[in-house]
Amino acid sequence: MKDEVLYSQTFKIIGRDFANAGAVSVSIKRFLKEIQIKPEIIYRVSICCYEAEMNVVMYAMIGTLDFTITQDQIIIIVEDEGPGIEDIEKAMQEGYSTATPAMREMGFGAGLGLPNIKKNADEFNIQSEVAKGTKLTIKINYN
Amino acid sequence: MLLKEIKEILNCQNFTDTSYLEKEINYYYATDMMSDVLKSCKTGSLLITGLVNQQVIQVAEIMDLSGIIFVSGKKPTDEMIKSVDKKNLPLLTTDLPMFEACGILYSKGLKQQVSQSKVEDER
Repeated sequence: MKDEVLYSQTFKIIGRDFANAGAVSVSIKRFLKEIQIKPEIIYRVSICCYEAEMNVVMYAMIGTLDFTITQDQIIIIVEDEGPGIEDIEKAMQEGYSTATPAMREMGFGAGLGLPNIKKNADEFNIQSEVAKGTKLTIKINYN
Repeated sequence: MLLKEIKEILNCQNFTDTSYLEKEINYYYATDMMSDVLKSCKTGSLLITGLVNQQVIQVAEIMDLSGIIFVSGKKPTDEMIKSVDKKNLPLLTTDLPMFEACGILYSKGLKQQVSQSKVEDER
């Protein structure tokens, strides 16, 4: 079966927890290396995971990252409870950012995150509700 | 160029295992924005940055960077040095500011983000 789930794991992401920010993405990357997924795919998955994880850490209160491998795809679903995105169209434009000076000091908030996820994904979907949260669905074909 | 040669050229202080300095460096990238690294830095690049925090290390691991040179005499924290233990990620510091460090490397013929195939074409 094409959609058969071969592996699945859910990770918790805590908002503002900068000390551990990125840890989920690094562990996913290590796992993909272990199971010998192609480097180009690992690169794309890692970037998508990391950008999405950092968005949750920077903007939301709490979130989850669901990581699934099927026969053909790696599926990453990142859902958070947070402020949501007012204007998704704007947020998808390179250079548009609502980052605070503190986020910029850490080297983020250039308004490149969401466009970069889209660029590296084969399928990308974003749903958001203001004052509730945001859900990203990222699919990457690996065959 | 070998990392140990770059270390000499920029007069760097090394904070990690000296065996890491034997690495061959083919690509370079200079920025303080981690967003830029995630968007357009080539895997295996040596990162030259003035940003010193744990996120630089995480980004380096995500992007498989060859190493990091901190400019303007900024030193990695003990926590950062500890976190790269056994990861083959060299951390160095040069007293030179970013512009000068990049300028010196550029004058030696090293270019940012030149793909391997292009380098070969130019030979």
